[in-house]
Amino acid sequence: MSGPAVSPAHDPPGPPRSGPAIQTTGLTKRFGERTAVDGVDLVVPRGSAFGFLGPNGAGKTTMIRMLLGLTHASSGQMSLLGHPVPADRAVALQRVGAIVEDPRFHPYLSGRENLSIIAAARSPAAAARIDPALQRVGLRERADEKVKGYSLGMRQRLGVARCLLADPLLLILDEPTNGLDPGGIQEFREMIRAMVEQEGRTVFISSHLLDEVEKICDAAAIVDRGKVITQGPIAELAEGEARRELIVGVDDPDRAITVLQGLQQVREARRSDEGLRVVLAGGPEMAAEVNSQLVSAGLRVMRLEPVRHSLEQRFLEVTSRLDETPEEVRT
Amino acid sequence: MNAVAVRMFDADLLKLRKRRGTLAWVLVLALAPLVILYTVKAIQHSSTPTQNGPAGGTPGFTDGLRLLCLFFGPLAAVLVGVEAGTGDASAGVFRDLVVTGRSRVALFASRVPAALAVCWTVMLIGYGIILLGTYSLAGNLPTPDAALVLNGLAFTLMATGVVCVVAVGFASLTTSKAASITALIAWQLVASPLIANISSLGSARDGVLSQAIAHFSPVHVSDRGGNVAMGQGTGVLVILVWVALFLALGAWRTRTMDT
Repeated sequence: MSGPAVSPAHDPPGPPRSGPAIQTTGLTKRFGERTAVDGVDLVVPRGSAFGFLGPNGAGKTTMIRMLLGLTHASSGQMSLLGHPVPADRAVALQRVGAIVEDPRFHPYLSGRENLSIIAAARSPAAAARIDPALQRVGLRERADEKVKGYSLGMRQRLGVARCLLADPLLLILDEPTNGLDPGGIQEFREMIRAMVEQEGRTVFISSHLLDEVEKICDAAAIVDRGKVITQGPIAELAEGEARRELIVGVDDPDRAITVLQGLQQVREARRSDEGLRVVLAGGPEMAAEVNSQLVSAGLRVMRLEPVRHSLEQRFLEVTSRLDETPEEVRT
Repeated sequence: MNAVAVRMFDADLLKLRKRRGTLAWVLVLALAPLVILYTVKAIQHSSTPTQNGPAGGTPGFTDGLRLLCLFFGPLAAVLVGVEAGTGDASAGVFRDLVVTGRSRVALFASRVPAALAVCWTVMLIGYGIILLGTYSLAGNLPTPDAALVLNGLAFTLMATGVVCVVAVGFASLTTSKAASITALIAWQLVASPLIANISSLGSARDGVLSQAIAHFSPVHVSDRGGNVAMGQGTGVLVILVWVALFLALGAWRTRTMDT
């Protein structure tokens, strides 16, 4: 998925230039007795890649369908690019491209013809974007073949090309790497990052693949059972807000534990395979004080480094604590 | 039509034109019976001219028009209308059209002229076959005058166009291609003639669409095709109610359905 860059995204005359790309307040969707999306408050900043992370059945696709006007919300407010939806839906969606679930096409039409059908429903300029979009996703050579002969990966690319017809300020992609081979996933990541970093677009990616979100996105929200459990920059999400852990290597671990347990900056200190595992009572700046106290106690500190949590660890942690209150989970 | 409407009409027309399988069935249903009719009658006439008159002339015109407008043409119109009404939903691309921000009612509305364009193109070919058979195989029989030819053309377009529009609305309501085709053809071939022949239903039979359409036929309609007497105004009203009702239902469903 390469080719000539599509020009950087600029706001159209209509949509406001300020405000988050997506904002929801108390957004709820009920199907009879079942609540699929439960009071979601979400803020997706402009110019970022934002992951909407959750297990299958967490309510991700329902949330996206509400944002795009494919289904009605039971309650709550939402806006896209500063426009309230559904009140201003037509204007808001002018510069939004989306793939919901797997990209679908008329199989008996060519890739180019399928794009021309969507372009007809968009602005007159959309038709002129068909060729650049096809080139951008690497399908120009096969654009005149019928879609029924396309692989799943090619359909995903064609779906992205369809999004580009809007010259989107915001792309909403639901499980976009489904069906892509490893090479295709890598190309997809690079394309998304280029859209965000070089063209200033906002990309909202729903996925159950933690590794995918961690590699592509700047920020994410973790959702489960219809609720947003936590949201923020990837690094902060992975670390958690309050937990700060260190691996400490010293010449006398037993004495070091005694020293550490006497410090108010330390919540917990214990042995582990890697050395001493120290949980700080406050932020990472306390690591310097811990080091200083250990040295003052005559211990030789050979290693002191923060524990790096992956998003996967954090995800499993928060989704395994769902029976607790949201406030408890966030800490 | 404004520029957006023209673009959307072109897009819907493209979808129908490229639907080769459906289009082949539409052509076969609408045209093959006419070709068979004139060919068989011509063969009969040539083999036993004393017992079988020429295939064309005014009688041949009447037979052809009845076949096209009241029997096979409406079936072909149903196929076109159902394809137009369910094509996007059954392919799963309707949601992608909704995501463009275009009004759902506009998306529904663009299906109607596209379906009519395809339906009427096929019917015009069929009408051409009727005229060809009527005049080239007339022998010593009288032929229709210009007024009858024009009336026949108008009736062809009206009879098939109305069924096509109703089919678009009905199919958009059900969103199921198989269910729509089955229901509409069963209504057209079985239920409508059956109801029309139940005399105890009295004027309630005026509400049957095919009866109202047959009322405007410029040629004699057989007992099976139309035996319910109704006034001109009633006929117009029944047709308008059918068209308006199913357009409204189709538009409502397209506007409100989850995708």
